[in-house]
Amino acid sequence: MKKLLKTFYPALLVVALYIAVTLLRSVGILNGYYIQVMMFAGINIMMTASLNLVNGFTGQFCIGHAGFMSLGAYGAAIVTTMLFKNVPAFAQIPVFLLGLFVGGCVAALIGALIGLPSLKLKGDYLAIVTLAFGEIVRAILRLIQPIGGARGMIGIPNYANLAWILFFMTLTLYLLRNLIYSPYGRAFIAIRDNEIAADAMGIDTTRYKITSFCIAAFIAGVAGGLYAHVLAFIQPDSFSFTKSSDFLVYLYAGGSGSLTGSILGAALLTVLPEILRFLTDWRLAVYAAILVIVMLYRSEGLCGGKELPFMRISRAALYEKPLFGGRKKDSAVSGKQ
Amino acid sequence: MSLLEVKNLTIMFGGLCAVDDFNLSVEKGELVAVIGPNGAGKTTVFNMLTGIYRPTSGTIRLDGEDMVGLKPYQFARKGITRTFQNIRLFSNASVADNVKMAHTMHNDQDLAKCFLRTFGMVASERALDERVMSLLERLGLADKADFLAKNLPYGDQRRLEIARALMTDPKILLLDEPVAGMITTELEDMAQLVAQIRRDFGVTIILIEHHMNFVMPIADRIMVLDFGKTIAQGLPAAVQADPRVIEAYLGGGYQQNGNA
Repeated sequence: MKKLLKTFYPALLVVALYIAVTLLRSVGILNGYYIQVMMFAGINIMMTASLNLVNGFTGQFCIGHAGFMSLGAYGAAIVTTMLFKNVPAFAQIPVFLLGLFVGGCVAALIGALIGLPSLKLKGDYLAIVTLAFGEIVRAILRLIQPIGGARGMIGIPNYANLAWILFFMTLTLYLLRNLIYSPYGRAFIAIRDNEIAADAMGIDTTRYKITSFCIAAFIAGVAGGLYAHVLAFIQPDSFSFTKSSDFLVYLYAGGSGSLTGSILGAALLTVLPEILRFLTDWRLAVYAAILVIVMLYRSEGLCGGKELPFMRISRAALYEKPLFGGRKKDSAVSGKQ
Repeated sequence: MSLLEVKNLTIMFGGLCAVDDFNLSVEKGELVAVIGPNGAGKTTVFNMLTGIYRPTSGTIRLDGEDMVGLKPYQFARKGITRTFQNIRLFSNASVADNVKMAHTMHNDQDLAKCFLRTFGMVASERALDERVMSLLERLGLADKADFLAKNLPYGDQRRLEIARALMTDPKILLLDEPVAGMITTELEDMAQLVAQIRRDFGVTIILIEHHMNFVMPIADRIMVLDFGKTIAQGLPAAVQADPRVIEAYLGGGYQQNGNA
């Protein structure tokens, strides 16, 4: 029981958060606006965590992440708005999930297409390719009239609510954590830390980079799908370079190479501009100033490569019997971290 | 047939011939040392033997299989791994993880299992961890398994590079200056370690080194390079006494002054 609690308490925290928010809303302390800010925070956490997989853990530099988000948003919205419109209530959830899945797949597929040639490039060059990719997606979406062109898509059913977003956010973080503490995650980190050595140790660096890129694109696609179904309206210009740079800011302010950092960075920096609204015209200047101060005093980001216990899997955890706590012999090892 | 058969290996960088007509054949279980002054082309030979450089001409055969044109990770998969002269560890990962990273090519857990962290996947991770720990134990690094690689002292970083290379299950281990920058006592420890690895793992070793007192007791054969050319090869004692070797290392005139 204790072990069960230990394993699942992060998920329980999210559930508790949800219950608390729902209660506060029902007594009128929180209004729809706060809820929406929380939903965007959840989506931004998914975006930042997936970007972290590429930039923070695999050591590549993707600066067009909003491009994948827009592909997912449009992919999902086409499924729910055009292919299956006005479905009866019981079919709404399956259609919604199908839409998110399609959005993720579209993003991952395009991710593979641009990743194959460009992940052989290093550093700055990859950044330029991904930057161009984000802008090309935006330019093309503006041209396609059946999905609204530059005016955007309207009338998307608002299937996504806080519960769905918290669910997908938790699932994403759980899966990403597992991945990072697995042979795949280790291969990503090896490529980040020393690509020549990773290659010399038998790691097919191109393959692993593409894997990482596609996983990140898929998650960004799902996050985009959720975004579309929160706002009920999307337009190509919502996914401009400014949006991509937001995720980069969340990532590096939180600390690249740390999932905890992505959570903190995205959550705090989504909420901060809203809190600063009382400053009216000075809001963005103060926001930027706070960022500058954070980066000056903690250049490695808020978390700087460190993880909270539930976002980390220690070596000692391998020797714990499921559901019954660890063996004595091995607990000595974990003490040394 | 020899385990490794290198014939007429030549590489040109523009007009510069860095390695000229290098021939080497290594039997299973042998320990061959490649020595020579700075800039002689030793590391360039290693870079060709691990696929980092593609030779301008010549052949590399491992167990009779042609290796030229393969990528570095494919060389590692066929069984040639190396350590680096200027240490290249995965510095922000732990010591244990560094070694585990070298096991990636033998990983049999697919992406879905890794995402879901299934019981089978955890069991395989545990088996891997036990193997890594026993390897670290033999190299005297077990008590530092959870340190970050970048926080290890220099000598331990060299050991970790060797541990990592061994984890790929190599047929041939290439050690690029394993005692560079070490003091005499460390040098003796490393000589013991290399001999022990050779015995315990039955691995064939080719090493590059400057320190004669490190190479002499452990090498079966020595090759001497100078300006990209092989100027002498044979048993350690014979090579040490070869006037061409002495000239390459100490310059002409040394013998004439009666100091040899």
